[in-house]
Parts: sequence; structure tokens; C-alpha cells
Amino acid sequence: MSLAIEVRELTKRYETVTALDRISFEVKPGEIMGFLGPNGAGKTTTLRVLTGLLSPTSGSVRIDGLDVEAQSLEIRRRIGYLPENVSLYPELRVQEYLAYRARIKGVPRAQRRSRLDEALQRCALGDVRRRLIGRLSKGYRQRVGLADCLIGHPSILILDEPTVGLDPHQIRQTRELIRSLGQTTTILLSTHILPEVEMICQRVAIIDRGVIVAVDTPENLRKRLTGSQVVHVELRGAEGVIEQALAQLKSIQGLQTDARVPLEEVFIRLTTKEE
Amino acid sequence: MSNLLALTGREWKAVWYSPIAYVVGASFLLLQGWVFWLLVVVLNDPRVDPTWRMSQFFFGGTFFYWLSCLMLAPLLTMRTFSEEKRTGTIEVLLSAPVSDWQVAASKFLGAWLSYCALWGTTLVFFLILRLHTALDWGPVVSGYVGTWLLGAVLVSVGTLSSSLTRNQVIAAVVGFVLMLLLFSVGFLDAFVADQEARRTVEYLSLLDHFRDFARGVIDTRPVVFYLSVTAAALFLTIRTIAHPRWRAS
Repeated sequence: MSLAIEVRELTKRYETVTALDRISFEVKPGEIMGFLGPNGAGKTTTLRVLTGLLSPTSGSVRIDGLDVEAQSLEIRRRIGYLPENVSLYPELRVQEYLAYRARIKGVPRAQRRSRLDEALQRCALGDVRRRLIGRLSKGYRQRVGLADCLIGHPSILILDEPTVGLDPHQIRQTRELIRSLGQTTTILLSTHILPEVEMICQRVAIIDRGVIVAVDTPENLRKRLTGSQVVHVELRGAEGVIEQALAQLKSIQGLQTDARVPLEEVFIRLTTKEE
Repeated sequence: MSNLLALTGREWKAVWYSPIAYVVGASFLLLQGWVFWLLVVVLNDPRVDPTWRMSQFFFGGTFFYWLSCLMLAPLLTMRTFSEEKRTGTIEVLLSAPVSDWQVAASKFLGAWLSYCALWGTTLVFFLILRLHTALDWGPVVSGYVGTWLLGAVLVSVGTLSSSLTRNQVIAAVVGFVLMLLLFSVGFLDAFVADQEARRTVEYLSLLDHFRDFARGVIDTRPVVFYLSVTAAALFLTIRTIAHPRWRAS
């Protein structure tokens, strides 16, 4: 079976800067791969090369076995790309925009309606389908961008910082959506948020200043650094009881307890509407 | 083909969903209505040569005509690429399975069809005129054909200039200047001594072409000239989109 994404010795040089320096990595079909790195490390540049928006200085990039430069159009038919700052036409209504995108992505006329409904439903956009995109909040716009990615039924999703600028609710929803999409689709997702990678991705490539510094599973990467495994356990109950129970686990090295509830959890509890 | 239709439809909507089109359109019609009324007054004057026709003045015969064409084209094309580059939607557009020529052609067609539609509304003036007097439709038809062909040249140049910048004002200014240069090349014919060169310059003179169009003559030479300039400008636009550094910005 051919690899979903295969990047070999990819280099991208601008006049004075080398944005990517001979990077190589691959993504297997069906995998959710994280692309992790600080801002400015070259994540977006790589993703732009993958989608055919930028041409590489040297090296080869294959998607589904197709060459990214020679067979760009065919590749673009197979990928869904969510750019970092989702830009949409503000004067269109949500369903109008998605119907247009479905059309230029070559969705057959007979299927457009059902694809549109499916994308709206998956991205929870049903109640804003008739709203103007320009009037939507950032979170909704992000989801319209995601719905656009899905509508062509791509075999590969390339998501550039999909949760940036969202509130914790939306982040959680987006992550859940990505995880559920990952069951049927290959996903490459860039981020600079570590927990995100742990929660969603099966494998991670870490990039720093244009060089890939590691490619592995999140657990292995952690092991490599700490020499042992760290397990986070969240316990609920009276503090005394928990302390007693933990005291019996003295054999575990480096046991640390933190009685605080994570702030994110508090926020989500307080602001979730009862349904 | 389906892609081209979808993209062109989107461009057409982009023109008419924006208030600019209505301001430009209303001003255009006001100006044309004023010119038409002036021409009716002038042509009704008993001292005027009775063989003069409305169409030979309305199409290319007044300075208003050229001003309208030269203003309309940059205003309709300035947003085509610049706006998408500024907001970043161009990235979304180009990551979809659409070819560069489809993108360029649809931007051109959206703006050009809007230009044609605006000029098309002036047909009402001739219908009103027909109610009151006999009218030779031949020169009217050739006048519109010439106007639309000229529009193709101007709109393609405007589209090209919009593809070069992310700033709409710059796109409009550069487009306008290029169109003005193209328009005024023909003025040089009186100053060129060499016979051959002079014939070439005359061939490029938009004003001369319109003397024909407005008299009911559709000469293939200007038609070929207009279509070639349009094709060349569109070709350059496609090259601009395909340029990797352009995509990077």
C-alpha cells in the first residue's frame, strides 16, 4: 500500500532564508499525524508545499503516490486543506459558500445536497446555514472551513493549526471532530500545542527551525526524554480518601499530586449549557 | 467547463453583492443618460447636418464614451485578485482542484459580463428613441459589439493589473494607466514619418476603430486586434498566478 504522504529531503529556500532544510517524514494511510513545532518553525511552509500552493526548491513530495508538482490538480482533488487563518467570502451565506465549494471540488450534482447536509451536520453548522459568513464568530468560521474540507470527501486532510483562536468549548468540539474524522481519513495536523498532539495524534513529527528533530509516537517521545513513562490520573473524591489511597502506592517513583481542578475543566463546566 | 461556470458565477455574484457595483452602475447610467439627452438635443437642432446619426456619437464619438469605458473597467476589475490576496481567500481558492487558467478566465468573465450588462442597459435609450423616430439598428448593433470587444481588452488588462498586487487602489491605478496608454498609442500617427510604422500605429488606434463600429462596419482587423490583446493579457495573468513566488505571498 502506498504511503498517504511521503516527504523526502524537502528543501524550501527563499532569497535569504532557508525555511525548510532537507526534511523527510511520511504519513501512513488512516493515520492522524501531528506536526509540532514552535511558531515560525516551518510548519505552514511544509503544508503549503503539500497542497501545491508553494513549489519546493528541491526534494520530492508524494501524496497517494502522486507527485505534488506534476500532478497537482489530481492531488488537490484528494485533499482537504484548512489554512491557518481561515479566510472565507464574507458576503456569502454558509450553505451558499459550501454549495459553491462542493461544485468546484467536483462533487456530482446529484450528491451535492446530501454532502452539504452531511458537512453541516458533522461540523454542527445546522443552525447557521443561512447566516452570512461575515457575521459569524471565529469559531463558526473555523467550522465552515472544516466543513469545506470535508465536503469533497478527501482521503487526506491537512489542517493548519485547527484550534488556534478558539475558546475551550470549541477546541474540545474541534478535537472530537478531528478524532472522529480520523477513523476514516488520513490527517496531518500542525499545531504548537503539546496536549493537543497527545490527545489526538498517533504519531508526531517535531520540526524546529526548518529541520525535523524527531518522528515518533507521543509516548515514545516522552520516554526518550524522561527515561520512563508518566501517567496522568485524574481522581475525584474527598481529599482525605484520595491521599490515603495514594499513600499505599509508595512504590511508584516521583508521585506528584496536584489538588487543583484544571482551569479548563472549570471553564467548561461553568459555561456548558444544560441540554 | 463546469468548474469555469461555477467560478464565473461566483465572480459575477462577487461584483453584484458588493455596493461598489451599484454606485458605479448608477453613476454610469446617470452619465450615459445625460450624454444621450445632450445628443438628442444637438441632433434635433435644425442647423445640424441631417445625415448625422445617434449611434456614431454615442459609441466612441464623445469624450464621455471613452471616459466611461476607461473608468468602468478598472473599477470592475480592481478587486478580482487583489481582494482575494489581501484577505487570504486566494489560498483556499487555489488549493481547490481548479486550474490556473480557469481561475484567470473566470475572474475576467465575471468582470467582463458585468461590464457588458451595464452597457446593455443603455439599450433602453435606443428603444425610447425608436418610439419617436425611425432608427437604423445596424450601427447600434455594431456599436455594442465594438463596445463589448473594447471592454474585453480593458477588462483583461484590469484583471492582469489586479493579479499583480494585493492593494485594490494600486490595481485600479495601474490598470487605468495601462488602459490609457493603450488608448492613446493611436494619437501618435500624425507624428510618425515612416509609412509602415504609421500604418501600424493607425492599426492600433482605438479611436479609428470606433469610427467604423459606430457607422455599422465590423472590420475583422480591429476584432482580431482586440481579441489578441485580451488573450495576451489573460495569458500573462495565468503566468502571474502560476508563479511560485506569487503564490508564496
